[in-house]
Amino acid sequence: MNLERMPNEEKLSLCRRYYLGGFAFLPFLWLVNVLWFFKEAFLKPAYTEQPQIKSYIKKSAMGLILWVAVLTTWITIFQHFRARWGEVGDYLSFTIPLGTA
Amino acid sequence: MYVVCIIRVIMVSSSMSRVMCVSAAAGVLSSSVEQKIYVELNETVPCVRLLNATHQIGCQSSISGDTGVLHVLETESDLDWILSSGPHPPYMVIMETAFFNRSVMMRMKNSSRVAGVAVIVSKTGLADNFSPHTTCPNQNTGVYSASYGSDLANCNVTMWNPLGNGLSYEDFAFPVFALKDENQTQVIRKCYQDHNLRVNGSAPQYPLCAMQLFSHMHAATDTVTCMRRTDLQNRFSINPEVLCDPLSDFNVWTSTRPLNNSAKGHAANESVVIAATRLDGRSFFWEQAPSAEGTVSGIVTLLATIQALSPVTQEAPPPRNIFFSFFQGEAFDYIGSSKMVYDMERNDFVIDLNNVHSMLEIGQVGLRRGRSLWMHSDPVSRQNKSVDTEVSEEERKLSLFSHALSLDQPSVSQPLPPSSFQRFLRVRGIPGLVLADHNTSFNNRYYESLYDDAENLNVTYPPDLSPDEQLVYETDAAKSLAEVATLVARSLYIQAGGEKKNLNNITADPKIWFLHQHVSDCVRLLWFLGSGPPQFYIGLGPRIHGPVHSVTRFVQYILANLTGTVTNLTESQCQNPSEVNTENKDLFSYFWVSGPASVNNTGEPFCRSASVRLSKAVSPAFELLEYGSPNYSIIPQSRWKSIRARIFPIFKYCPLLTNHTSMESFRKWTLMTGFVVQGHKWTCL
Repeated sequence: MNLERMPNEEKLSLCRRYYLGGFAFLPFLWLVNVLWFFKEAFLKPAYTEQPQIKSYIKKSAMGLILWVAVLTTWITIFQHFRARWGEVGDYLSFTIPLGTA
Repeated sequence: MYVVCIIRVIMVSSSMSRVMCVSAAAGVLSSSVEQKIYVELNETVPCVRLLNATHQIGCQSSISGDTGVLHVLETESDLDWILSSGPHPPYMVIMETAFFNRSVMMRMKNSSRVAGVAVIVSKTGLADNFSPHTTCPNQNTGVYSASYGSDLANCNVTMWNPLGNGLSYEDFAFPVFALKDENQTQVIRKCYQDHNLRVNGSAPQYPLCAMQLFSHMHAATDTVTCMRRTDLQNRFSINPEVLCDPLSDFNVWTSTRPLNNSAKGHAANESVVIAATRLDGRSFFWEQAPSAEGTVSGIVTLLATIQALSPVTQEAPPPRNIFFSFFQGEAFDYIGSSKMVYDMERNDFVIDLNNVHSMLEIGQVGLRRGRSLWMHSDPVSRQNKSVDTEVSEEERKLSLFSHALSLDQPSVSQPLPPSSFQRFLRVRGIPGLVLADHNTSFNNRYYESLYDDAENLNVTYPPDLSPDEQLVYETDAAKSLAEVATLVARSLYIQAGGEKKNLNNITADPKIWFLHQHVSDCVRLLWFLGSGPPQFYIGLGPRIHGPVHSVTRFVQYILANLTGTVTNLTESQCQNPSEVNTENKDLFSYFWVSGPASVNNTGEPFCRSASVRLSKAVSPAFELLEYGSPNYSIIPQSRWKSIRARIFPIFKYCPLLTNHTSMESFRKWTLMTGFVVQGHKWTCL
């Protein structure tokens, strides 16, 4: 999709759809939203819909950072402590490596 | 991937390391190139991982094998080279026999420069003693504990195996293999001498000879974890991976008067004297357990006893029944005997503990010093007056026949040695004795090791005998065991209430020794005619290994030969004896065997009936699903995918091939690079 050829209303509605979609536990939609519309929101000369696009991008970025923080924390904890958790660790795991704790 | 790899080969033709890529491609190209690089070592024996309630023991390799530059450990300076000064770590240590001891292995374990160990198994350089078992075998599953003879528990009074170094119960993070074939060891030595020798103290140059050992074990941590993970795999995985299997096989039992196998629980009007011994052994390596003094001496003695008793008990049966039992799995916390006692308690066996009058166990009896034989009894149960009287009676009866031997009792406060009788005592104070050739600690200097073989028992033949002549030659060891067997047979007969006048007919035949080396002419079992001496490791039982373990089958058929009778049933009748109304499937088992071998052919097959049975020997903890149980054996053996070894040359310094951890970091960097590249693609949207 080439944003250059889209009218501004369509850009806004696309941005809004990605923003709303991210709430369905889909942080990658927010990531794409931020990366895709960054130029539109902050680097292009102002147009009517831009402030709204800017706000969507900022909120998407915040949501994304929150998800990254939570996931990174959880993944670090799990990788570090899974072996020590014994039974709980095994029940939480999808695949358990063979031959190691 | 295929195309990329081929291009690399063409471009970098001199670098053999890239050729690894070609083997990933399909086709004729891979196998011929692979054969030019690798020399597969077929005659190696691994050390595998076993678990217990709290620990893992044994050895583990990485999932794609451990590679190291070969170095032969012959002198102390080699040890320094490997552990600190050699420039091409990690090393794959080819260990001469003299260096396979606890101190060297623990130094290897603590070093990060050792990729694996291959031990040369030979008699040259063998130390005076080597026992990888613990100093106090089965200390937690015997009868002595904090609540029963606490001052006798944990070998406080007598250290049974003082020469034990406990190597079998250590956890090694690298593979340890045994090289048993002399020709193969020569190939390895030649590769080492051609490429890896130090010249005047300076380091050898590339190309170097390297070895790769694969023995990746699935199980980890302890039994509870392993069984839980196996359970999770079985329930939730599409392709379940089994991680470990309980050790299991069969006990062999027989009796002088047949017992009704379908009537479980208390047998009416039966008072039974149990004569028992163990059927298994172990060593540091998987499935290797020659166990001559540890196990075979007991088996042969009990078989000779049975042979001596069977004609007399047919003609003049004593009032009490004599129940002979060979327990499997005793090396691993008494698997077989604990299962039999468990079944007896739950009325799931042909007799129960109320039927048992007394017990006589044959321990290690092969290495008698001079003429002495010792009768061990349990001092704690003897505090009970009636038990004490019975045991003293039993000792007296044994002493009646000790003409050729000198029977002694150890001091009163000494506990029983590790024996199956201890499992019976845990449940009931049965009067009983354990016969052994040792007073305080074992005479066996190679207890539960690879070196407990015929030579350890001093079985030697004059050099000019053919194998057939060796079959009937009476070695000193055979005569010694026959003396013990005669003693046991006569005293068992008296203990069972038989009459003294029949005693002179009870004599054991020293020729029974053939059982250790060869198979009897009358009983030929195809799968037993393997090479080398029989190995007594318990194994995993019929689900995994196919039919019943060869040694168990061997003893079963020998017993059938010794105690059974020939019938004239046809083959189909032999397999379904319930259809024939003269035969009783509840009292006897029926075996279709081939007849005595003659010069031209193997003889006519026929049906033999005998009161010999197998009973399952798997730890009750696995049936009760109590995987952390302190009362029963909970030792499973890990599963694995492939175990192999190979040697190959390394042509230049290549971090991918020589260092396992470098391979890991290479993979991580590739992954990172991939992400960065992908991320760059995203930003150009």
